[in-house]
Amino acid sequence: MRRRLGRTLAGAATALALAATACGGGTGSGEGTSANGGQCTPETPVISFAAYSTPREVYGKIIPAFQAKWKDEHDGQTVIVQESYGGSTSQAQNVVNGYPADVVALSLAPDVDVIADAGLITHDWTAVGDGGMVSASVVVFDVREGNPAGLQDFDDLTQGGLEILTPDPASSGGARWNIVAAYGAALRGHAGVEESDAAGAGTLLEGIFRNVTALDKSARDSIKNFESGNGDVAITYENEVLTANKAGLPDEMVIPPSTVLIENPVAVVDANAEDHCVKDVADAFVDYLFTDEVKDLYSSVGFLRPADRDAAAEDDGDMFPAIDDLFTVEDLGGWDQIDRDVFGDEGAFTTAFERAQD
Amino acid sequence: MSTTLQEPRTTARPAGPSSRPGVRLGRLSLRATALLYLGLLIALPLSAVVAKGFGRGLMPLRDALASPGAGEAIRLTLFTAAVTAIVNAVFGTMIAYVLVRVPFPGRSLVNAIVDLPFAIPTLVTGVMLVALYGPTSPIGGFLEGIGIKVIFAQLGILLALLFITLPLVVRTVQPVLLELDPAEEEAAKSLGAGRWTTFRKVMLPALRPAITAGALLAFARSIGEFGSIVIVSGNITGRTLTAPVFIFQLTQQFRPEEAAAVSTLLFALSFSLVLITERLIRRREAV
Amino acid sequence: MSATPVARSAPPGVEHRARRWMVAGTLVYVGVLVVAPLVGIFWTALGHGLGIVGQTFSRPDVRHAFVLTGVVALITVVVTTFLGTIVALVLVRFRFIGSRVVSAIVDLPLAVSPVIVGLMAVLLFGRGGWFEPFFASRGIQIIFAVPSMVLVTIFICIPFVIREVAPVLEEVGTGEEEAARIVGASSLQTFLRVTLPNIRWGLLYGVALSAARALGEIGAVLIVSGAIQGRTETATLYVLRALEERQEASGNVVALTLAAISIVLLVAIEAFKRRQERIREERAA
Repeated sequence: MRRRLGRTLAGAATALALAATACGGGTGSGEGTSANGGQCTPETPVISFAAYSTPREVYGKIIPAFQAKWKDEHDGQTVIVQESYGGSTSQAQNVVNGYPADVVALSLAPDVDVIADAGLITHDWTAVGDGGMVSASVVVFDVREGNPAGLQDFDDLTQGGLEILTPDPASSGGARWNIVAAYGAALRGHAGVEESDAAGAGTLLEGIFRNVTALDKSARDSIKNFESGNGDVAITYENEVLTANKAGLPDEMVIPPSTVLIENPVAVVDANAEDHCVKDVADAFVDYLFTDEVKDLYSSVGFLRPADRDAAAEDDGDMFPAIDDLFTVEDLGGWDQIDRDVFGDEGAFTTAFERAQD
Repeated sequence: MSTTLQEPRTTARPAGPSSRPGVRLGRLSLRATALLYLGLLIALPLSAVVAKGFGRGLMPLRDALASPGAGEAIRLTLFTAAVTAIVNAVFGTMIAYVLVRVPFPGRSLVNAIVDLPFAIPTLVTGVMLVALYGPTSPIGGFLEGIGIKVIFAQLGILLALLFITLPLVVRTVQPVLLELDPAEEEAAKSLGAGRWTTFRKVMLPALRPAITAGALLAFARSIGEFGSIVIVSGNITGRTLTAPVFIFQLTQQFRPEEAAAVSTLLFALSFSLVLITERLIRRREAV
Repeated sequence: MSATPVARSAPPGVEHRARRWMVAGTLVYVGVLVVAPLVGIFWTALGHGLGIVGQTFSRPDVRHAFVLTGVVALITVVVTTFLGTIVALVLVRFRFIGSRVVSAIVDLPLAVSPVIVGLMAVLLFGRGGWFEPFFASRGIQIIFAVPSMVLVTIFICIPFVIREVAPVLEEVGTGEEEAARIVGASSLQTFLRVTLPNIRWGLLYGVALSAARALGEIGAVLIVSGAIQGRTETATLYVLRALEERQEASGNVVALTLAAISIVLLVAIEAFKRRQERIREERAA
């Protein structure tokens, strides 16, 4: 009897360890599970929100506004939003690998498509709002006060001895926007390259990446690195520089004459939202992001150039200076073509990067 | 003080009451629990890493090492670990000696402070170093003015590693020092040997295994350090990127095979060092 | 280990000076390396005034982060103490073939970088992992959820209790346990009444070390947790995020809090260690 206690204790120990894993698993508190077949209308819905690294500050404003609005319209019901920010491509891959995000706000459309291709997004997310794009910006250079290196265009980035910061395209969406901007500008006859000279564009990329000293895992990491005193220039989103300025930092912005219009998608991840019984809240959240109220919030922190390309290129007299040649991914043939021409195995960037390592 | 009939032993099951069948079964389940715990929690995960890293032969490893900054990362890791081990071997021994042999006011406080790095989270170590030496702090600003960059430079990495591994050396050498018979040193002194000679010829040989063990432990600990380095080093590819941060980047880029390959290398190295250390310490105990 | 100082014969002047230098050297080295950063964080965190402390702790995500850290550390300590004691007993009391290997395996987690630990968890429980189908089919989330964080922290903390309890078990010897059995006590009674009191201080020392390590974990949880604010973000992960969000003040406050908790643990660690040393000296006498 008593001797058996020893054995029982040993067995209980192992069970405890396994129980510890099972207990914390499953869905969090406040969420119903349709898998349970039980209640699927949680008292306090919890939305898991995965975004790219840059828009923390603006969602820090938007989410409380949404929560207040929902409370008003739904008898004081509280919605909890659990946020996480990281490199866009990393986040997309995380979601595909099991991260239980209900709504994703990523840097570029291909990252959302990756999630859709995995079967987690089952509706046409581009049919929501303005083609599914919730914010826009442009690729700029973040330089030291006074622009000591005199950088104006992408070919200036190839000058010897310059140290450039740009994130890693394997994990960051912003990194890919930066590369597309340089490539596109070159193809369109800027940055010292003949129009439609693909080889010239490749050489430009090679020159730039020879000067890249660090590939941080997200756009935010990259600009923070720059702010710590490293590098002479960081290629980044216009809104990142504006956010930094708002935080009191002396980052100075240079907009190259030809640059790409960055459009950031947002989408409900149907599979997860349905599993967590928060589809209606998630849909409402995404719809909310396309309202004028939120558009104003985005603009106020430098996030939203008008979605219309021509309007976007204009000087709005306030925060957004004019741009000589603002192009979009459509002008370059769309993301599929860009993925092949630039990021494919024989792509302009892939080969340029390899050559730049020598 | 023991009131037993037998000499206390640590050998296997003694005869007599302990061999009752119930007890034997209890022992069996205890053994099973222990083996399950260690097998499931340690052996299994590690074999998963090795399998992933080398399941497709040497390709993942080669790909990983061909990445920009990979070679430098490994070199930097080994270099900083070596410097840390050597510097702390010297200073750690000195500190151990002082703590054991030289009474001074506040000695027990210093003794306790030496253990601080064991308790403090490594991330906090990094934050503390940035607070002290970062470009916005008075000390950091001054140092940068005279051209010494601590944060986002190799010096910061060294300071972090020295902090973290200090107790490893001190606590390995101290017990040995404690057990040293002062009679030999007295004898040497009475024969006219100066203190440095006494130290070199009498104490050092006895301390050498412990100092080596401490240094090796410091080395092994240093090559795996992440939390503090990710904050102070800036992770600049080719300059301040270390192997653990490189592995971390590989996981963020969804290159798990390459991450596993480099990981296997790293932990094979540190594990061998830990084993050697154990043997060094054990040999001392056997003497 | 505050040992009794060894009596020395009257030293010549040279020796005195050398020793003074060594003491000075010790104070400078420890001061610059260990104490200064601690002072630095105090200064920086509280330099903005105490208001920032109140502000930081009024944030729900900060409070949740601390609670989560506590929960993970608690589970880790309980599991590693319980199972660690069993392993130590098995290693020391029941010699068997391959116990040397087992002893080496126990030391393994000390040699593994935390990022590798995180990778291990992802390889086992992440998509395509060995155990993923089992848990996925039951709707249990391991990666990007608390269970993975607990598992990696347990892995990292395994050696502490075992390494502190095993030597004590060896020193204590089986004599008293044998005596207890002879008078008819069961194994459990023997353990509770005889063994446990003997290993008490070594055990507590290991527990305190384990707790300190658990609450400081960052590398592995960074990889497995997804750092979901309000769900899988620990205090250390919060500090990382605060720095990224340009909220250094909050980050410093949380870092300082963690440092303060560690110092409390350190005091406990020292106390338990001293008791253990004292008992060892008595036993050797």
